[in-house]
Amino acid sequence: MKNNVFRNVSSALVKWFKAYPVLLIFIVLFVGFSALFSDRFLTTLNIEAMLKQFVRLMLFAVGPSIVMTAGSLDLSFVGIWMLGGMLVWLLQPVVGPIAIIVYPILGILTGLMIGIIQAKARIPSFILTLSVMITYWGITALLSEGYARTIKGYEFLTAKLIPIIPTALLWAIPILAVAIFLMKRTVLGPYFYAIGVNEEGAHMAGIRVSRLKVLVFTLSGLFTGVSSIILFQHLGGSIPVELNLNEMNEPLVAIILGGTPLMGGTGGPQRTILGAITLTVLMRGLNVAMLPPIAIELLVGVMLIISIIVGSRSLNKAGTEVT
Amino acid sequence: MPESDFLIEIKNVTKTFGGVVRALDDISLGIRKNEIVGVVGENGAGKSTLMKILAGVFPPDCGKLLYKGKEVPFPKNPKEAAKRGIGIVYQEKGVVSCLKVYQFLFLGNEERFKTAKTLHIKKMKEYAAEVIKEFRIRCSVDDYMYALPLSTQKMIEIARAIVSLRLEHGEGMDMVIILDEPTAPLTIEERQELFKQIIAMKSSASFVFVSHIMNEVMEFTDRIHVLRDGKVVASCDMKKESLSEEDLFRVIVGKESVDLERSKDRQPAEMGEVILKADNLTKNGCYYDVSFELHKGECIGLFGPAGAGQSEVLRTIAGLTSYDKGVLQINGKRAKAKEPPHVRLKRSVGYFSGETGKELFLNWSIAKNISILNIHKIRRKLTRTINFRAEKKMAEEIIGNLRIKAPSYRSECYSLSGGNKQKVSVGKWFERNPAIFLMEGPTIGIDVGARTDIYEATLKMKERGISMLLVSDDPKEYSLLCDRIIYFRNGRISAVLSMEEFNEVISI
Repeated sequence: MKNNVFRNVSSALVKWFKAYPVLLIFIVLFVGFSALFSDRFLTTLNIEAMLKQFVRLMLFAVGPSIVMTAGSLDLSFVGIWMLGGMLVWLLQPVVGPIAIIVYPILGILTGLMIGIIQAKARIPSFILTLSVMITYWGITALLSEGYARTIKGYEFLTAKLIPIIPTALLWAIPILAVAIFLMKRTVLGPYFYAIGVNEEGAHMAGIRVSRLKVLVFTLSGLFTGVSSIILFQHLGGSIPVELNLNEMNEPLVAIILGGTPLMGGTGGPQRTILGAITLTVLMRGLNVAMLPPIAIELLVGVMLIISIIVGSRSLNKAGTEVT
Repeated sequence: MPESDFLIEIKNVTKTFGGVVRALDDISLGIRKNEIVGVVGENGAGKSTLMKILAGVFPPDCGKLLYKGKEVPFPKNPKEAAKRGIGIVYQEKGVVSCLKVYQFLFLGNEERFKTAKTLHIKKMKEYAAEVIKEFRIRCSVDDYMYALPLSTQKMIEIARAIVSLRLEHGEGMDMVIILDEPTAPLTIEERQELFKQIIAMKSSASFVFVSHIMNEVMEFTDRIHVLRDGKVVASCDMKKESLSEEDLFRVIVGKESVDLERSKDRQPAEMGEVILKADNLTKNGCYYDVSFELHKGECIGLFGPAGAGQSEVLRTIAGLTSYDKGVLQINGKRAKAKEPPHVRLKRSVGYFSGETGKELFLNWSIAKNISILNIHKIRRKLTRTINFRAEKKMAEEIIGNLRIKAPSYRSECYSLSGGNKQKVSVGKWFERNPAIFLMEGPTIGIDVGARTDIYEATLKMKERGISMLLVSDDPKEYSLLCDRIIYFRNGRISAVLSMEEFNEVISI
């Protein structure tokens, strides 16, 4: 009897790990770092830092992880975050605190633009959104005249409420909840997955592929815009003028690590949470290990490559079983 | 006939995949010099496997290859096949469309025009011009491939196969060029053009012509071998014997299939109101002046040799392609020439293709595959959210109704057998219940048991008053499901047959 229970539990565990391989990585990393640096890893200071890191990754990754389920890629989020901030800085003296809504507006408009261009011109989304990001960065640099600008007056957004827990995390919870709800409980989820898995099949099943593609980029822009309101304050309240590639890479790693493949068809924001937690543990662990920052960046790059290979391998496997 | 007569001959070739599926079973056939040999058969009869063995893509399990009467080993790769004088032109994706004609003609053989590390372009162009002249291809060496009509592109591809063999062996080499369904992407007019030119090329090479389009095979081949289930079931010398299209059809399809008892005592459907009306529908290059009326609860079979335009008519009604001229009325309302499938779906037209890879989302569960088409049924009224319990119930009902063999409604579709995949595809339409249901090859490549279940489901849908159009490779399917047959030939309706007339034609 006892044996039976044990077997059931272990088979359930195996099933669980097969569905979420990232969990295994997470446990290994977490236990490993806790054991190796027991004096530094599980301190309140480090836990707070991890939570902050996690919020940053997660807020950046919400929008793009929705796009990725439909088989496209959205890199414009860094651009929206930078340019949006610069516009807020310019408009705030004129219109007052309400200027903050520039973020979501810019997000929606950018998403619409990308979606329409993508649907009409059929440009690979990677190139298109990369160009948008670089263009936005250029405009930001131009408007700022080369100085990082500080926006004041929104400090209340991330004012400390609960010890250890960053307030931005509290904001992230409803944003994530809405994203997950949209993907799991409404028709949008199945439709986006359908486009990612088999665009022709989706077309044949009467799904309006072009229109949904516009919608997916618009949604991504909206989520990025809303997240940026929290993010800019969370990241110090100043608008950078230098493009930091890490801002783009790390959310992507979190998405792919979480289990949303580049081809789409499965995954989504709920899986990205796992990816973001794992990546956070890895980065903070390495940080605690006193590795130089350059080495950490290098490891993040390696992580991206490995997670893409693993992700595409499982897809190929499914492909061979098809025929 | 003397054996030395053959240029290339294969004897007792057998090939199995995974030790279970017998793709080729003891096949022997030969190709003479300057001869066009047709190899025909249904999907999955083993045509492609045979050609791939000849081209060196994979080896056979056993068998002999004779070249001019002498036994030689089978080629291990396409390069070795080329050494034996065997070239192959594949069905698609053979053309590099961004190249100029002369560049494409010598793609992979540029080394022969190399002088001190640079290409001798003038020499290439001169030789290319000679080739074009020899095969009477209407183009210039400086034309870009993409700018040429598809039939010309195909000709250049064939010329390229011959030229690369010649560069390998020198002039006067005896060679065999395999054409694997070369006409698949071409329109009716382009096909005729291609045939004329291939016949003109007969003096320089032998051809093996693989196709499932019968009338074209009969028109210009010297001999025909019919494959079915990996065996040569019939061979015919077109010069000595005359063979009618119906005869050939019967040989290709074979007799054994589902029992047809039901079709005989089935009552003809009562004619309801007209639900779909086509009036002089024309799509240039595919079909011309197609007019018919589909009544409620009726099933019309669009029958004819493959490529005669019937599947394009079906795809037009489904909204996957547009039409050029004529009027299409669905439910009494005029449908525009270019309407995407979702608009047609709103008009309650459903399209189902037997090619499961296209229809299904293979890494999804059965339940998801069914609900993607029926989401409106499982949404809660108030919150517009998906009710997963309703999804499960719907899927389990379909699984029971169509006898889908799967461990659970959550099983992913790629793990199912071909027949069960097809049943999921039909099942989602069974649930959707469109007013007009279009079926294209609903039982391609699946076993008899699964076929029977699918026919049963379709007949149930018919009883519900769903009108249907059917296009299929299998004439028995028409006998079983249809009330009327529209016979297509070369893109036009050549006759409308009642079921008695049709059964007589295919003599079941």
